[in-house]
Amino acid sequence: MNWLRNHQQYLVRCIALLALGPLGSSAAGFVASAQSAPAKDVVTSNWGKPLDPNQVEPFWAEHQGGIETKPQHFTYFAAFDLTTKNREEVIKLLKAWTAASARMSEGQTAQPLESGLQLAVAPVAPKGGDAEDAPDPGSRAADTGEVLGMPASRLTVTFGFGAGLFIKDGKDRYGLAARRPEALVDMPNFGSIDQMVPEHTGGDLAIQASAEDPQVAFHAVRQLARIAEGVAQIRWVQTGYRPTAGDRHLLGFSAEEKIPGMNAPQSQAVWAGKEGPDWMRGGSYVVVRRIRFALEHWDQMPQTYQEAALGEMKHPNMPEDHSQTKVKSSLDNVVTEDSTPPHLAIVIPGRDAMLRRSYSYNDGVNFTTERWPPWRQGLEYDAGMFFICFQRDPRTGFIPVFRELANHDSRLNQFWTHVGGGLFAIPPGAKQGEYIGQALFEAR
Amino acid sequence: MKIFNVRTFLLLTALLAEAIPSFGADQAKPFLETIHHRRTLVSTIPDSGDLNPYAVVVAPVSAGRIQKGDVLITNFNGLTNLQGTGTTIVDYSPVTKQLTTFAHVPQHLPQCPGGIGLSTALTMLKSGWVIVGSAPSTDGTTRTLGAGCLLVFDSNGQLATTWANDNIRCPWGNVALIDNGSSATLFVSMAGFDVPPLQVRDPVTGYPVTVNKGTVLRINLSIPEGKPPVITDQTVVANGFGQRADRDVFLVGPTGLVMAADGTTLYASDALGNQVVAISEATARKDSAGTGRTVSKDGLLRRPLTIAMAPNGNLLVLNAKNGQVVELNPLTGEQFGAQWIDNNPAQSPPGNGDLFGLAIKPDGRGFYYVQDDVNSLLEATQ
Repeated sequence: MNWLRNHQQYLVRCIALLALGPLGSSAAGFVASAQSAPAKDVVTSNWGKPLDPNQVEPFWAEHQGGIETKPQHFTYFAAFDLTTKNREEVIKLLKAWTAASARMSEGQTAQPLESGLQLAVAPVAPKGGDAEDAPDPGSRAADTGEVLGMPASRLTVTFGFGAGLFIKDGKDRYGLAARRPEALVDMPNFGSIDQMVPEHTGGDLAIQASAEDPQVAFHAVRQLARIAEGVAQIRWVQTGYRPTAGDRHLLGFSAEEKIPGMNAPQSQAVWAGKEGPDWMRGGSYVVVRRIRFALEHWDQMPQTYQEAALGEMKHPNMPEDHSQTKVKSSLDNVVTEDSTPPHLAIVIPGRDAMLRRSYSYNDGVNFTTERWPPWRQGLEYDAGMFFICFQRDPRTGFIPVFRELANHDSRLNQFWTHVGGGLFAIPPGAKQGEYIGQALFEAR
Repeated sequence: MKIFNVRTFLLLTALLAEAIPSFGADQAKPFLETIHHRRTLVSTIPDSGDLNPYAVVVAPVSAGRIQKGDVLITNFNGLTNLQGTGTTIVDYSPVTKQLTTFAHVPQHLPQCPGGIGLSTALTMLKSGWVIVGSAPSTDGTTRTLGAGCLLVFDSNGQLATTWANDNIRCPWGNVALIDNGSSATLFVSMAGFDVPPLQVRDPVTGYPVTVNKGTVLRINLSIPEGKPPVITDQTVVANGFGQRADRDVFLVGPTGLVMAADGTTLYASDALGNQVVAISEATARKDSAGTGRTVSKDGLLRRPLTIAMAPNGNLLVLNAKNGQVVELNPLTGEQFGAQWIDNNPAQSPPGNGDLFGLAIKPDGRGFYYVQDDVNSLLEATQ
């Protein structure tokens, strides 16, 4: 009962804090209303149920895996540039990727071990005297072997198509430009939070491999990149992980834990419908963003600042910070007409427009310049959030929500920078015998 | 609501090392005491993604793409947020409430040594020409500090000419201007003479070594009808100010400048000396006044930056090391108090490093300023 009482007090504190912002009243109202029974077609309705971490997630399905799938604890995301000019080679790649992914999802090797490595597109032998130097992929192992003997580990492999598949540098390389969905927009610049590094942004194709084991996730991308030799090459990658319990991010908060229904969009917000091209029906659009947190700076902030910035209390077990008066300077008696809403109050109105399935990332330290005074420079953690969200249309999902954040989340915007990512169309799932994206290439 | 607690203020002034008389009943009310509101006007980030707003200048006339009363702002950082790489001047219209890019120069110009990083040295002439300083870097640190230059734009934002010479080394602080139409005089602070590398440390302070080579340069201009201004002569009217590299804030040196009411004395902020000084006969002198005469030192000052003259004749001085603006009497040096115009607790002390540019509003009933922490233009009003 003590726990219950603590929890009730905690919720009251959350609501009180949310009410600080101009959106506070509606946000607090949401907290109350969200406790009513959720609708039946909520895509995350299975996320609360316990799962066997070794189990097989289905590959052949109406929708691709890794979207409504309860998040695994590890992800390995890779964006690829297509190097081929040949449409048929893209099809061969997708066929080979589909087959290998289906096998790996069941805990098998990427390809049958007996026959050696089969590239998606066989290399062309050099002409003339160099013919004997032709590579022989068949002499290489069909699988690199680092997960032999391991279970499927709930591996899902999710494929996405970037704008570059349809048109790149003004060129329609594969005769697909006319089939580019309107929703696959060019992402706007969110000035105050963006510092997108070109080498970590975009891509023609994307693979999200998620599993309960980090080696299983990496193994999947490693095999698919191998198969792609001569057709596509890795542009950038990002690893991600989730804690074994709860889903707190590295700032120390978890909206999902504290706001019931924070991540429970209806299926109609996630899956593309009749509004777009037929080949995308049952698919989705993913926005991924590598968001670097200024953790050293954040860790110097009073708890009251952090809680006011996020709009939630840190944890029921954390004592209240008694330095609250420090947040508002006693020297400042000027009326400010700017009211800074907390982060949650900004994102809650758009909560139903996307399915968030994010991970933390942690890539060591490197030399960086913080974006804000006092402009510290030096070795800092390269760590933060690998934000992932799926939606029916980014123009009604990610983009309006992040525009609001860029314009109004001034407390938190001093502590995070979007340094990479992309937008990819996720085609629907495949039936056995089909390949991912088949309808795009075969549509008339 | 009053901005000062007068009793607290009197207590503060009593605590100052020099006993300063409290201001008499016959003296004008402190300007800051009339300021009761502040609000954000616009994000200063242009389409190019430049960051870190520095200079704030109110257009004195309408010319080309600029309307009288528009607020011109420089950005010191480029898209990648490296200091000394910003290449844009933006224009905020108080009428339309919109921000547009007025000028966008290439990162590298052969005539500007070291590249482009637009500083607080910005002014606009009645003839429509816009003059701005560059204190450039290529890696965001003074390791790659260039000599910089002054750039002259026409009123449509097109680069008309550049000035670089041995007297110009990282034009840094806000410009003091005397504009007679066909001729003009600029005063520009220079903070980039022989700045030692960051790694060279003062054993006493632990900071990078300070060298006393900062100057104030007077530049006389002739402005032929329809043609860009031409430098007719230039004189170093003050020198010997401390300047040094800084790991976090890039460069520290002489910064703010403003003409006195007498039309000949120049006030300057000596950031490392933590003082405001007066340079006598600044418009006419043929030699340097050294570091001038101390007007006000320490007290509420915390590494003073931009100086502006309030309508009551007092000086408003922005602090680098906290988010305060200080009001002081330039004749007596009396400090009337400070207002915390950026109290962002994400910095310590609040607002540390956030302020740089400030300009009095045309109606004299408030001022514009920028906050680097949130890349925004704000106004403080009655």
